[in-house]
Amino acid sequence: MAQVARDGLKQVRPILSLDRDEARKRVLNLYKAWYRQLPYIVRQYDIPKNVNDCRNKLREEFTKHKDIRDIRIIDMLVIKGQMELKETVNIWKQKGHIMSYFKETIEPKPTDFLSKFLTSKD
Amino acid sequence: MASILRQITKTIRSPTVQNGVVSSVTRLQSTAADKVPPAETRPTVRKFDFIARSQLTDFGKYVADCLPKYIQRVQITAGDELELLIVPEGVVPVLQFLKDHHNSQFTNLTDIAGMDVPSRPYRFEVIYNILSVRFNSRIRVKTYTDELTPIDSCNEVHKAANWYEREIWDMYGVFFANHPDLRRILTDYGFEGHPFRKDFPLSGYVEVRYDDEKKRVVIEPLELAQEFRRFELSAPWEQFPKFRNAPPAIEEVKTGDKQ
Amino acid sequence: MLRQSLTKVLNGAQLSPKHIALITRSASDQAAKKPEKIEVFIDDIPVQVEPGTTVLQAAALVGVEIPRFCYHERLAVAGNCRMCLVEVEKSPKPVAACAMPVMKGWRIKTDSELTKKAREGIMEFLLVNHPLDCPICDQGGECDLQDQSMAFGSDRSRFTDIDHSGKRAVEDKDIGPLIKTIMTRCIHCTRCIRFASEVAGVDDLGTTGRGNDMQVGTYVEKMFLSELSGNIIDLCPVGALTSKPYSFTARPWEIRKIDSIDVLDAVGSNIVVSTRTGEVMRIMPRVNEEINEEWLPDKSRFSYDGLKRQRLVTPMLRDSKGELKPVDWEVALLTVAKQIKNAGSSIGAIAGGLADAEVLVAVKDLLNRVGSEALCTEHTFPLDGSGTDLRSSYLLNNKIAGAEEADFVLLIGTNPRLEAPLLNSRLRKGYVHNELDVALIGPKVDLRYKYAHLGDSPSILQQLVSGQHEVSKKLKSAKKPLIIVGSEVLERVDGGAILSAVQKLSASTSPEVENWKVLNVLHKVASQVAALDIGYTPGVDKIRELNPKVLLLLGADEASIEKSDLPNDGFIIYLGHHGDHGAAVADAILPGAAYTEKQATYVNTEGRAQQTLVAVSPPGRAREDWKIIRALSEIVGATLPYDNLNEIRDRLDEVAPHLTRYGAAENANFFKQAEALSKSIKTQIDNTPFDVKLKELQDYYMTDSISRASPTMAKCVQAVLKQKQSKY
Repeated sequence: MAQVARDGLKQVRPILSLDRDEARKRVLNLYKAWYRQLPYIVRQYDIPKNVNDCRNKLREEFTKHKDIRDIRIIDMLVIKGQMELKETVNIWKQKGHIMSYFKETIEPKPTDFLSKFLTSKD
Repeated sequence: MASILRQITKTIRSPTVQNGVVSSVTRLQSTAADKVPPAETRPTVRKFDFIARSQLTDFGKYVADCLPKYIQRVQITAGDELELLIVPEGVVPVLQFLKDHHNSQFTNLTDIAGMDVPSRPYRFEVIYNILSVRFNSRIRVKTYTDELTPIDSCNEVHKAANWYEREIWDMYGVFFANHPDLRRILTDYGFEGHPFRKDFPLSGYVEVRYDDEKKRVVIEPLELAQEFRRFELSAPWEQFPKFRNAPPAIEEVKTGDKQ
Repeated sequence: MLRQSLTKVLNGAQLSPKHIALITRSASDQAAKKPEKIEVFIDDIPVQVEPGTTVLQAAALVGVEIPRFCYHERLAVAGNCRMCLVEVEKSPKPVAACAMPVMKGWRIKTDSELTKKAREGIMEFLLVNHPLDCPICDQGGECDLQDQSMAFGSDRSRFTDIDHSGKRAVEDKDIGPLIKTIMTRCIHCTRCIRFASEVAGVDDLGTTGRGNDMQVGTYVEKMFLSELSGNIIDLCPVGALTSKPYSFTARPWEIRKIDSIDVLDAVGSNIVVSTRTGEVMRIMPRVNEEINEEWLPDKSRFSYDGLKRQRLVTPMLRDSKGELKPVDWEVALLTVAKQIKNAGSSIGAIAGGLADAEVLVAVKDLLNRVGSEALCTEHTFPLDGSGTDLRSSYLLNNKIAGAEEADFVLLIGTNPRLEAPLLNSRLRKGYVHNELDVALIGPKVDLRYKYAHLGDSPSILQQLVSGQHEVSKKLKSAKKPLIIVGSEVLERVDGGAILSAVQKLSASTSPEVENWKVLNVLHKVASQVAALDIGYTPGVDKIRELNPKVLLLLGADEASIEKSDLPNDGFIIYLGHHGDHGAAVADAILPGAAYTEKQATYVNTEGRAQQTLVAVSPPGRAREDWKIIRALSEIVGATLPYDNLNEIRDRLDEVAPHLTRYGAAENANFFKQAEALSKSIKTQIDNTPFDVKLKELQDYYMTDSISRASPTMAKCVQAVLKQKQSKY
């Protein structure tokens, strides 16, 4: 049996989900949980954002990982997402932590040669 | 959990192990199977306790006989320290066995440590340091995993494991299954990455400052204004020729059929 | 300071068996005739060695390192430090491994009690009279004495003289502005003395007194007058000889070492640039058997402080009052681009001696795109005959390492001691060990070895070609003859005729070794070969003819062209890193990076492509040279198709594939064709005597924009002039 498994696929221990459907369900649950909490988050934290901004950001954060197929990586991300949600909802986080999702103060790096030449040394 | 306990008691009750138990009762009297090595005279080399070493060797063999399914290797490091190398599934049963067995009573979980060796197929090692107050003895139990394989939490066996496992999760990203409260313990909320991984840069990825305009703390990608300090300490000459013939750091203890 | 790990030394030894042979030959002449190997045992490991191999070398072959202070692979064996004592079975006393040739069947014990005791004893003797000033010693952290006392010394002390009543103290010597001496630290290994007399050829250093009173010094107060003097700093195993400019500036464990290439002469010595906090702290040689062995001339080693002075740190434009004013990159590039657009194809470029291959090819591409072909190098080379079309006419074809094998060398119009000190040290090595004869046509200069001075008249060259000169026979009968022509004589008006004569002369020789190349040209600047390979026209005559409206100077600082050579509304752009002659005449200055600040390709006089690496970032708003051209091209509207280093390297590869084969010297052939083409040359050699610019040591130190900006080099010139006036 072990030989067969080794020949075919590497047998791995699942983290939470046993198949893709289950993983998908977990992702959607997490998304919904965040989505429902967003109005409270906006109200409780003193942030210059409205619920719509946050929803867009939430969608963006989730679609960042849209191409991941490995169930275990999805599970790991879900676990971390839940952790974040808990930290947010319990107001363990502070204003700066929430705002760091929006990366407002970070200037995008120039990509074409000339502006790279004029702004920095690379 | 109950099934595991049952399994252990079953193993212990089995006749072959009964003999083992009997022999292990005498573990305080050395079997003196090993020959005594020449006394260490070098003042700068640590001298180890030979009696403790032979007792621990015997104990290691005995545990390996009791739990052949979980224990992959038994070794002595630094002369007189016992290490049990187990499979990841064996964390709970092995720790339970070592805690509850009359002749070991490793009731105190001193520490759980992590180790990252990126070149290995299972890059992380998780190391449980346990102490038997009854026998004044310390041993180590080591297991391995990778970024995505969960390890069973030993929180049910040792309550002390709660925060230690949170620390490992935070620093290495090793997931502990069935942990009651697995969340970050040392890093900042919203921190990304696991700092003790070898591929995590010493300087980190982000820097944090107070922005006067925004009236809040902002997190930005790291830009080091000064040179990153790195020291070059190698010399062309052999540094410790006196330690050229030092005894090996790790000696395997032959167990079971290998004996 | 230059210390290599055992493996490096071993590999080095394997690379050059010639070298070992050189040392062992003197040890046993008979052995060379019968190369049967003998077996010895090092710590019971059997090893087969050539007869005459020393114990130390035999041990190195099996990877056992025997500690040593006085022994050095490239110097004669002295055997006076006794650190390498080892036990040999059946020998009543321990033997000095560095000086003792092995005998058949010897069993050598490098780790026995006797050996250890001998080493501990020697360490104790050395330390009895060595000051305990490691915390303030510049050698600390890279000191052989420190390391070996840690590794091989005793861990107990018998030193009871807490009043310090009996420690030896020696007065420091003043041997010039480069080398700091703290002679109390000297352990009398005599490496510096041997280097001075064997490699540098300056017999100034020696010992006086004996026993406890022995001192190493120059007998009388005198500067160590050698262009290779810095190497004794590397050789000194303790802190007795340290670098004066580097003193108290950094510790070896906190500096970062970057492998690079020296560009201050055309040899292309391999160097290690040590940096800390974005500053070059020192430059040391890196071993390359084919080029610099492990030596480095003083200009390359000490002129790094010139990299911090007189730098162009911001773009500048000349305003209506004729003053240069700092501006932004954007403004500077727009202004320059406007001038280039207005000029159309009336634009030229002159490449100076420090330009790298990347910027050369970028400038060529840019100028070709706007329709100009006026690309010149600052240093002339004859264009008659085959000109620069055949590489064989402008390379040091027989390679630098080949020079020490020669048995007859004819130098024409060159002073290798100052133009390429490491080529001269090779010639000297051949002279000392290989019975090399040297003859020279040109001004009589001091090469630190004996040579036949044939005179400085070009007519001697003609006599040689026609076979009438007394040396002709010797040249013809030589088995490995070399003719080394200085690039300076080829810059003369009759350069083509001289080159043709030399080509004829080298064709008339009959070397007995296959692939032995007689004709060699020695260049003086690092950029010349790459520029000619890429297709630049040597000499600025073309610019004078064309009279372009816009002239781009690529670090051209030799004042080869003046503002008056351009039309009245002519615009000069200077792209370079130092405010020197070029920047003074420029209307726009674009600050570039010096060789320690860019990853760039240089081709040395042998035709060997090598690259420098970024050790520190360019100062202020300076940028890497080729990037400036690339940015300019975009504004001009003729965007060059490369955005990063890899892409421009691909372009280099397209132009000339050998430019990216780093470390390899591409051979040039077609000597016969070059000679045939040279027959068409009509010009005659005129009778002005050959001359070289660098005649005396004081001329050596300041030859380019970097070394001219260096205070250390200025001090050297002063010190040499002062020494010339002294009665010693």
